[in-house]
Amino acid sequence: MSASVEQPPEGAPALRLHRQLEKIWATGPGWQRLAAVNHSVIGLRMVITSFVFFAIGGVLGMLTRVQLATPNGDFMDAETYNQVFTMHGSMMLFLFAIPMVESFAVYLTPKILGTRDFAFPRLTAYGYWCYLLGGTILTVSLLARVAPNSGWFMYTPLSSNVYTPGVNADVWLLGVTFVEISALSLAMEIVVSVLKMRAPGMSLDRMPIFGWYILVTAMMMIVAFPPLILGSILLEIERAFGLPFFDPTRGGSALLWQHLFWLFGHPDVYIIFLPMAGALSTMIPVFANRPLVGYRAIVVAIIALAFLSFGIWVHHMFTVGIPHLALAFFSAGSAIVAVPTAVQFFAWLATLAHGRPRWDVPMLYIFGFFFVFTAGGLTGVMLAIVPFDWQAHDTYFIVAHMHYVVAGALAFPMLAGFYYWLPLLTGRTAAYRLAVPAFWLIFIGFNLTFFMMHLTGLLGMPRRVFTYSGDEGWNWLNLLSSVGSFVMTIGFGMAVIDIIVQLRFGRRVRRNPWNATTLEWAMQMPPAPYAFASIPRIATGSEPVAPDQLALSLARGEGYLGFARNGWQEALGVHMTSGEPDQVIVLPQPTYLPLITALFTGAAVLAMLFKLYLLSLAMVLVTLGLFVLAGQRAGLGRDYGPLPIGHGVSVPPHTEVASAPPWLALICTLVADGTLFTSLIFGTFYLWIAAPHWPSNLAPQANRMLALGVIVALVIAAAAARGSLRSTSAGSNAQGWIGLAAIALLAAMTAAVGLIGSVTPHPHEHALGATAWALIGFVALHAGIGLLFLISNLLRIRAGFISPRRLTDLRLTRLWLDYTTVTGVIALGLVLALPALVATLGARP
Amino acid sequence: MNGRPVPPRRLWLLAAGFLVWCSALVVLYALHAIGCAFGWQAGALRWSLAIVLLVHLIAIAWMWRHLATARPDPELGQAAVFLQTVVVWTLIAALVATVITFAPSLVLKTCI
Ligand code: HEM
Ligand SMILES: [Cu+2]
Repeated sequence: MSASVEQPPEGAPALRLHRQLEKIWATGPGWQRLAAVNHSVIGLRMVITSFVFFAIGGVLGMLTRVQLATPNGDFMDAETYNQVFTMHGSMMLFLFAIPMVESFAVYLTPKILGTRDFAFPRLTAYGYWCYLLGGTILTVSLLARVAPNSGWFMYTPLSSNVYTPGVNADVWLLGVTFVEISALSLAMEIVVSVLKMRAPGMSLDRMPIFGWYILVTAMMMIVAFPPLILGSILLEIERAFGLPFFDPTRGGSALLWQHLFWLFGHPDVYIIFLPMAGALSTMIPVFANRPLVGYRAIVVAIIALAFLSFGIWVHHMFTVGIPHLALAFFSAGSAIVAVPTAVQFFAWLATLAHGRPRWDVPMLYIFGFFFVFTAGGLTGVMLAIVPFDWQAHDTYFIVAHMHYVVAGALAFPMLAGFYYWLPLLTGRTAAYRLAVPAFWLIFIGFNLTFFMMHLTGLLGMPRRVFTYSGDEGWNWLNLLSSVGSFVMTIGFGMAVIDIIVQLRFGRRVRRNPWNATTLEWAMQMPPAPYAFASIPRIATGSEPVAPDQLALSLARGEGYLGFARNGWQEALGVHMTSGEPDQVIVLPQPTYLPLITALFTGAAVLAMLFKLYLLSLAMVLVTLGLFVLAGQRAGLGRDYGPLPIGHGVSVPPHTEVASAPPWLALICTLVADGTLFTSLIFGTFYLWIAAPHWPSNLAPQANRMLALGVIVALVIAAAAARGSLRSTSAGSNAQGWIGLAAIALLAAMTAAVGLIGSVTPHPHEHALGATAWALIGFVALHAGIGLLFLISNLLRIRAGFISPRRLTDLRLTRLWLDYTTVTGVIALGLVLALPALVATLGARP
Repeated sequence: MNGRPVPPRRLWLLAAGFLVWCSALVVLYALHAIGCAFGWQAGALRWSLAIVLLVHLIAIAWMWRHLATARPDPELGQAAVFLQTVVVWTLIAALVATVITFAPSLVLKTCI
């Protein structure tokens, strides 16, 4: 891979360009910081926030170790202990691990790919604020002593109303869902940005490997989070309104929750691991002084890993009573998922073996990673074997395995990455006198803590017990574990001090201190808000990028877009596969809108928590209104035609092309939404086939006329959306079509509400009615959102944002309504088929 | 760069092999669950599982044959060669994964 920029005359005005761009891109001082939308700013905030949660979660982990250090500990009572370990697990995974890897992605991806920012900066900011608010709700609940207490996987019926009557479980369901909205929105924009916003000439085969990892991870998030979001919504509905999805006495099934949870939960492990593996694949070649071995093999491996990891969720449920044949599928799947992991491992080892490795602090952590992750992987393969899992299930062996995997995959590469990229941020490097001992304390402490847990587990110590009597033979192992955890914590403390010290007193380093060949080093240190003063061209050929030289030429504006135009924040959009520039993407300026929207979203969540349902609904409507408002200001108010981007190339602005980022973003949204919908269908079938109390003599009914009415109305709306698109592109007025679509959607919603009213058995009485309710509710909700699309279309036509050349809005509406119609037909078809399905239950032996 | 770029639609091929694997998982798991819940004859259940598995294997093998023999269009350049290699190898991986993960449906007792 090589990057070249034409050599322009000497003395080009780098400083002037910097001032011009800075004025356009910078976030204002003081309160205006709250309006930041820049990926560097938000990424950094996310790193820090996730670290704060890591510290809180770590303290909670220490508390559990203090309690368990000796038998009959009375440091905490059982209830406190339940809240503490539940919050430890939940925080570490939902508030630290996922956001932390995303924060790496947010901060680094645009820089490594050679672009200026993400495709939807306001969404980045919204995602961050949702994360912060959701995390705060959870933390405050801990202080108020109403924290979740049913374990981080919240199994029903323990987490149902009967056994957890207070708000504890609601805090988890609402808080975590809130955080997941943020994760999901970031994932979507990562996919769009990686596919559409790279340095020109960076075709997919020349994309730095980090890009592949992040792309695959973000896609996994888009598919993995919806099942859990659905599960949380259904459980919250059950808790708040009494619809029995998980209540076995009324036709629900507690196991449905486990399926939905682990459908998310297992892939989540890889969602955490892959970005860190991406960081490793970026760092290892640099330290080995040679290109990564097996680029293509790694791409194949991560695609395989992404899929296989979805197919093995049941290995968390080996003991719930599943037929052996089905267990065998998941056991075999769990074992072979080790293969793509091994492929990456060997690629890294080969890179190191063929290179001339050089030692430095990041390499120390990479070594730690190899050691710890291998151990975790081996116990993982052990647990994939069903008989062994039956033995070790719910003992401390699982806790040990999980920490070896999670800390190996996450903590060690993360620290390696910190030390590797900090010079970019600070221009300074670590003080060895602290960094090296910190590593050894963490490494030794970690192994001391968690290796012992394998043994206590094999000796039969169950997880989640708050104390033990002392005659089981675990005493000294537990004590060692606790001591180890303190050693590790001291290590983490030293690493934090080291990083802070580095900010002030670190050795100054030159640009690109590690001799890397990726583009993030071809910029100012610390990076300017616009990242690149001009955008490099990646030329064909095989010489690696030399970021140090490139940096100066880019700073002088010798790449693409090396100028300021109209006060716009401009970035380049490229063709997805070839990386040839095909549009100028004009990004939005800083705005308080994301913060305000997140505050209202948070208010909706809180109102829900305090059972003020009408207020919550109102807040939801305001939030949706704010989204429409945000849409109002997007894009450009007139046609521009091709705009010069430098080097004699001109491309149209993103508003005038078919492959604009919003189009791809809606496709991602629909994939996520489609996964949610599929999970709902799965849930319906699952209850039908597996839940007790679905006798065939329950005669469900649904009003066929109303159902037909909904479908016809949806088809009319979808057709009218086509009409609006056709007439606008022909230059005539589309408002009549839009009005027709709106009326059709209103009719569909009315009919759907009528249909819900006529569902029998009543949704409160039996899961049969409840699932019918959920399916119809899904259709009504999507029709309602379609209405918002139409309102937004009307407003934007009025304001001149839509023209025969600028059709993105109308195309989005058409796609949404098509999707609504298709899912509507499926959902209502299922509702109508339920009576027949239930009747066949008579054939069950 | 000169020549035509690889159409973005082709990117779906990266997922093709493993999507078939997913489909095999879903269909086999569901079929097995339904068969056991409704007490189908062991023989009938076994045969239907085997046929489903076979259909999926044929689907992947067909794609593999189809894509491995097609020379990438020289006009599409390096990116197309890269994409083809990766797609072919994901297909091979998916084929192997399908055999290993679902072979138990041919041998294990069906409903205990
Ligand atoms: C990378 C950082 C860490 C992550 C992601 C993490 C995550 C988790 C998770 C998910 C659980 C499961 C809780 C449950 O079973 O409900 C857990 C349990 C536990 N963690 Fe951690 N943890 C981390 C670090 C630590 C540290 C530093 C300690 C000790 C100081 C610790 C001690 C424990 C203990 C004792 C349990 C068992 C609680 C129980 O189930 O009884 N963890 N951890
Ligand atoms: Cu798992």
